[in-house]
Amino acid sequence: MTDYLELAKSVVGKASSDGAEAEVIITDSKNTQVKVRNGEVDQLSLSGSVGMGVRVINNGRTGYAYTSDLSDAGVETTWRAAQQLSAVTTEDQYRKLPEPQPIPEDDLGIFDPNFEDVTTAEKLEFLKQVEKYAMDYDEKIAVTDFCQYGDGVTYTYLANSKGFAGSYGSTSAFAYLDAIARDADGVSVSAIGLGVGISFRDLNAKTIGEQASRKALSLLGGKPVDTQKATVVLDPIVGGQILGAISAALSAEAWHRKRSFLLDRMSQEVGSSMVTLMDNGRLKGGLASAPFDAEGVPTKATRLIDEGVLQNLIYDSYSAAKAGTISTGNATRNGHRGMPSLGPSNFYMQPGTKSVDEIIKGVDKGFYVLSVMQTGGVSPITGDCSMSANGLWIENGEIKQAVGGVTIATTLDDFLMNISDVGNDLTQLPFMGAIGVPTLRVDHVTIGGIDS
Amino acid sequence: MISKESASKILAEGLKTGADFAEIYIEDVSQLRLGLDDSRLEQAIRGTDRGAGIRLFFGNLVTYAYTDVLTEESMLSAAKSAASAGTSSNKNQVIDLTEKTSSLDFDIKKAFDNLSIDDKATILRQIDEVGRAHNPLIAQVFAWYMERSRKVWIYNSEGLYVHDNRDFVEMGMGVIAQKDGILQQAYNGFGGQVGLELLDNNDPIEKIKEAADSAVRMLDAKPAPAGEMTVVLPNGWGGVLFHEACGHQMEADFITNGASAYANKIGEVVASPIVTAIDDGTIPGRRGSIRFDDDGTPSNRTVLIEKGVLKEYMWDKVEARRVGRDASTGNGRRQSYRHMPMPRMTNTFIDAGEHDPQEIIENTKRGIFVKSMAGGQADIAHGDFVFNATEAYLIEDGKLTAPLRGATFTGNGPEVLKEIDMVGTDLALDPGMGMCGKGQSARVSVGQPTIRLPRVMVGGTGE
Repeated sequence: MTDYLELAKSVVGKASSDGAEAEVIITDSKNTQVKVRNGEVDQLSLSGSVGMGVRVINNGRTGYAYTSDLSDAGVETTWRAAQQLSAVTTEDQYRKLPEPQPIPEDDLGIFDPNFEDVTTAEKLEFLKQVEKYAMDYDEKIAVTDFCQYGDGVTYTYLANSKGFAGSYGSTSAFAYLDAIARDADGVSVSAIGLGVGISFRDLNAKTIGEQASRKALSLLGGKPVDTQKATVVLDPIVGGQILGAISAALSAEAWHRKRSFLLDRMSQEVGSSMVTLMDNGRLKGGLASAPFDAEGVPTKATRLIDEGVLQNLIYDSYSAAKAGTISTGNATRNGHRGMPSLGPSNFYMQPGTKSVDEIIKGVDKGFYVLSVMQTGGVSPITGDCSMSANGLWIENGEIKQAVGGVTIATTLDDFLMNISDVGNDLTQLPFMGAIGVPTLRVDHVTIGGIDS
Repeated sequence: MISKESASKILAEGLKTGADFAEIYIEDVSQLRLGLDDSRLEQAIRGTDRGAGIRLFFGNLVTYAYTDVLTEESMLSAAKSAASAGTSSNKNQVIDLTEKTSSLDFDIKKAFDNLSIDDKATILRQIDEVGRAHNPLIAQVFAWYMERSRKVWIYNSEGLYVHDNRDFVEMGMGVIAQKDGILQQAYNGFGGQVGLELLDNNDPIEKIKEAADSAVRMLDAKPAPAGEMTVVLPNGWGGVLFHEACGHQMEADFITNGASAYANKIGEVVASPIVTAIDDGTIPGRRGSIRFDDDGTPSNRTVLIEKGVLKEYMWDKVEARRVGRDASTGNGRRQSYRHMPMPRMTNTFIDAGEHDPQEIIENTKRGIFVKSMAGGQADIAHGDFVFNATEAYLIEDGKLTAPLRGATFTGNGPEVLKEIDMVGTDLALDPGMGMCGKGQSARVSVGQPTIRLPRVMVGGTGE
């Protein structure tokens, strides 16, 4: 076995020998992917992959190169390319590697030591069960789609010329499927079932399979309602889409580059008193937790919005240097292929005390939104927020008919201000780092439907 | 890349445990990306991805293993790993490998090194200067350049050996305009499977001015209305709607598992009689073009819908085998050597119709003209789609009036396709920036003439 941390350190030495700063990341991962279709294993992929990325900063000019070829020649080509590319970029006095800091040694719960004990046969059987639970749920469930299981173990090694050298392992597993419900006249609707965790043992086949089928079945036969302003209750998978955009608006880089609808509103009230938003790179068992961030800065918890008041932004070392503050440990990167950039880690809304049923009971007339689609309709820049939506109508606190083919629209400002209930069901979703969101009640949302 | 003897040996290793088909896919990708933001050239990234994937078929079961190391030893080990799922001692034979070539002329005219990295960076800096000088309301400019060379070699136990070079260039740019606390963003760009001749045929300076004008116009936009409206979609990138809401449902994997609304509908009327739709991977220079797909099948021009009648689906090797078809349509594509191929679109478009595009707007009493839009998304099970306009205008009495912001459009693809009541003469493919996601990402093109949809749900916050 190659000692990748030693390799990273030796490449740092070569790439910084002319006085430049250098940083080397090596990722070493092993993955399993399985697909099941109509009760049979359809695809099975078992593999491992290694990659290296080299960042060179020469008097504030940054060059980056990566490779999957870790032969001596491949490595040399890569660090030399990073050196050469640094000559092309613009000098920037704030581009520096961070000074090494001690990394806390608490267990973040991101590595399952028994990960490799689960056999491929167990995984195949598990995924067949996921599909079976979905199909057996009701005879109207016609077929499943994208029924897949994936897991991986990744070791990350990071070293830089300031003397930082660290490594950690992380594991993850997920299972996913779409259940498609079809009624007698052939109209169909699909819904997703998803389980994610640090280990295979975190996943429950019954929960994932039945969740998809229950949702699909309840949405079957959905019709548009009248165009109106109404209260909506958002399932976590829906709220997650909106919180993703809000997380992007809370980055110091977005502010500096004028890409945030929250621009220049520090210390102001930007949401209702129920809104507390956190970013926490040390969340125990968090999908985006790590002992240090993508440039070796220890991760931490940052309170961004506290009971509606904007308190802080997330920073990496570059944006912190520019703003004269300290990094919140939010440098992220897309494996070895990406340069470090600023982004959320475990970004979540503090849960409330009410169950979903209690929230629904409190709504006189409204729309319980179970799934949405949007492609740029939720913008952290303009603050526009509109999506297509499916769900269930609520009247006098009770679930009535299925609703489909409508849109919901608000602005992100109004969304934050009009949150009037927060559920106790904090759900972790693997979007943009990891987003945690409970069921939310939001008032005064425009529903686009039939003109009455 | 490797000798035929070596390839045959690796394929034979894959067949040792009863597989009835073995394949080696080797890939060597190198790319350069330059990125400018906030008036600084901040990204200069070079990358190499090189590896091989071994794929085996055991009836309907497909197994896969890949390696980053291109030695015979490492590929043999991947073949063993993929073969570990097999239990039979029945050994199929590897047929002698014969190289197949393509008659399609996709050769690039100007190699990437015709310009130095500094020259390329200079173009990005010019874009920044021009964008900022163009209008005082421009608060931010960003731009990027990317070149990518992807070489693939495919060998299989049926005796196939093909090699393909795929070179891409793309240049993108955008601005943020700011006025009275309102921010608007606009993008532009162009790309294709071409060399640097792309820059001779597209002027980045004009493109950044267009983006700046668009963002500034949208600063005065009012909220889009909510409810059902007539919608006119633009030519070119407007074709993303067909791609998302109908095209995916014509991909064979959704047909053979019965998920698609178009399953078992060949020969039936599925669209308005003025609609003909085509997937064509053979057009030189386009982003979705391929000489061979990633199964090694030559690419094709496939008529999907002819005058409203469903004619064909898009097949890859796995799905064609599943139903006993002789040939795939050359639509098997994969993101990289770490992925298995699946049915994907190439360049997919609605063909030209008979209406003057100007007349389409003049004949619309009240509606929305979408000038540009972000990508779209659709639910493959039933074709419900959503897309968001990035620049849109109200149509009143046949004339474009107020700019509209925050417009989301939703409907059902197969239903909307039947309702299209006007198709323009102005067929165009998109400018070449399209990326399609289906678990894996693939470069694609979409296209269409100006088309009118009489009834689409619009979601805004306005009246």
